[in-house]
Amino acid sequence: MAFISIEKVTKTYNDQSGSAAVPVLAELDAAISEGEFICLMGPSGSGKSTVLTIVGAMNRPTHGKVIVDGIDVYALSDERRADFRREYIGFVFQQHHLMPYLDVLENVMLPLATASISSREKKERATSVLERVGLADKATRLPNQLSGGEQGRVAIARALVNDPPLILADEPSGTLDTRTGNEIMDVFRQLNDQGQTIFMVTHNNENAALAHRVLNIRDGALVGEGRPQSDRGTSLTSGSPASLLTYE
Amino acid sequence: MRISTIALANLKRRKGKALFLTVGIAIGIGTVVAMLSLGSSIQQEVGAQLDRFGANILIVPQSNSLALDYGGVSVPGVAFDVHQLENGDIQRIREIPYHDRLAVIAPKVLSAADVEGQQAVLAGVDFKQELKLRRWWAIKGRTPESEDEVLIGYEAARALSLISSPAAVALPHAEHSGHQSSADVQFTITRNQIHINGLNHHVAGVIAPTGGPEDRMVFGSLAHIQKLVNKPGQLNVIEVSALCKGCPVEDIVNQISSKLPHAKVSAVQQAVKARTEMVDRITRFSAVVGAVVLVIGALMIFTTMMGSVVERTKEIGVLRAIGFRRTHIMKGLFIEVAIVSVLGGWLGWISGLLASWLALPYFSETSTRPDFHPVLLLFAICAALLIGILSSIYPALRASKLDPSEAVRYI
Repeated sequence: MAFISIEKVTKTYNDQSGSAAVPVLAELDAAISEGEFICLMGPSGSGKSTVLTIVGAMNRPTHGKVIVDGIDVYALSDERRADFRREYIGFVFQQHHLMPYLDVLENVMLPLATASISSREKKERATSVLERVGLADKATRLPNQLSGGEQGRVAIARALVNDPPLILADEPSGTLDTRTGNEIMDVFRQLNDQGQTIFMVTHNNENAALAHRVLNIRDGALVGEGRPQSDRGTSLTSGSPASLLTYE
Repeated sequence: MRISTIALANLKRRKGKALFLTVGIAIGIGTVVAMLSLGSSIQQEVGAQLDRFGANILIVPQSNSLALDYGGVSVPGVAFDVHQLENGDIQRIREIPYHDRLAVIAPKVLSAADVEGQQAVLAGVDFKQELKLRRWWAIKGRTPESEDEVLIGYEAARALSLISSPAAVALPHAEHSGHQSSADVQFTITRNQIHINGLNHHVAGVIAPTGGPEDRMVFGSLAHIQKLVNKPGQLNVIEVSALCKGCPVEDIVNQISSKLPHAKVSAVQQAVKARTEMVDRITRFSAVVGAVVLVIGALMIFTTMMGSVVERTKEIGVLRAIGFRRTHIMKGLFIEVAIVSVLGGWLGWISGLLASWLALPYFSETSTRPDFHPVLLLFAICAALLIGILSSIYPALRASKLDPSEAVRYI
């Protein structure tokens, strides 16, 4: 049984006048296994981010179901769905969206703010994930005192602090220069190597080369699924060439 | 890391807005505190000043009277079944449950007497109590101190040729209006010995004209006059002044009535109504001004919080995305408002008391210090908290209902 099952998901938005429905996704079906690293690729406006927010329990589909670990996500109440997001999903946003008024450690602890555990345990868990992303020594810095790559790693640490089974990432290296972007992608690769399920939206073929599978979406429909040809063991920061993707 | 940590950090981050809100709340609460504090002081002063206008409870002997008419000829009313008041009744009045509200108990015995061959009304009074009641009396000379000393009303003194001819102070409006106030009349006592019922008495002082019945009366000490007119221990009237700021005059009347079943006790309604109306007006004015200020404060909090929610749409979206419930978002905003409100309420209490302390001399002639009621601090903080939370309910609800997918569409 798939860890994530997207079943005939359709999404329409109303246009600005509210009179006409604009179709974004049309009967999308996909399945993701536990421990997989999946990339979703497609041109702008193809519906990539909509798929990500629907899988992320934030955007109710017009039709269809999303089942994660056997849970019908949209059968949950709004508040329970918030709990589901906290327990099951770690989000990494393109702009990182760290809270500028909290230091690195506090930003990482943010998802634990509502948890019924001691402050000490929250700190220990946050420090532990900061060590995993190599930023333990910068715990007391504010986000604006970090480089773009470091901010990205803080965002990843924040996504990991609850130890969620699934990481959703929306163009995590989209705003970074190539070298910094590759640093971030290395972290994702390492996480996946440790068994973390990752579902990532990207435009970047090099990033997609790290994935086990690549789903290609166009005009709201999956048009192909393929396996990248790159060697996943090669670090992107070591200067490997862009990989070509083949579709089945 | 708790929700309160985020709220506190947010306040620190938006120091300007937090300060603006705090000052706004402090001004609103400060105004209300100042109004209440000033109002309370002014109420007390008005009450005290109104109390100077005399008694508000009158006690006279219970009696029945008949108007007689025989063959078309009217005969003056005949009183019968008269129960006399006596000295012991004063102590009985002091024993009522509301005895602490009684400011003055002024007993009197009244009788006609032969004064220097003329008939005059002689009143035996307790001068200490009487002078508390009749604060408008301006006495030329001094208050009687021994039994053979008397105080004489202005008209009576003139009729008995005890004073020189009056010389009016040249006040243009007084001359035109044709009457003189007591302060305007200048006179000197020319003779200070008179005979009352054949006994020699010393005139200690003369009361400047008041326009009241006392102008034609002769006042002596209660015990002495009771003996002189052969009414030992008897009283004709007892006047009582109850402290009236919120005092239940009718209850006091009932309590005295039950203690003195043989007496007729009545509230002087005019005085009571004047006091309560004045106090009510001050209270209503304070309440209206306070309510207006608080509504303005609430609107200010509302618009600031709405602005804050719009400004923080993305931030709230991120929090929702990482698992914050709607109630967590609301809790965070309420904590921010609560911190600002408590601080604003406390500052408002201090500034309100300070403002009333500075303003009181302009509103009051006698009070220079406002009342420092500790309960006002509790009121200030609770009111600020209530206004802050109520004004933030809609912005907080709106924040909590932000669709995280809409918020993260831009992130």
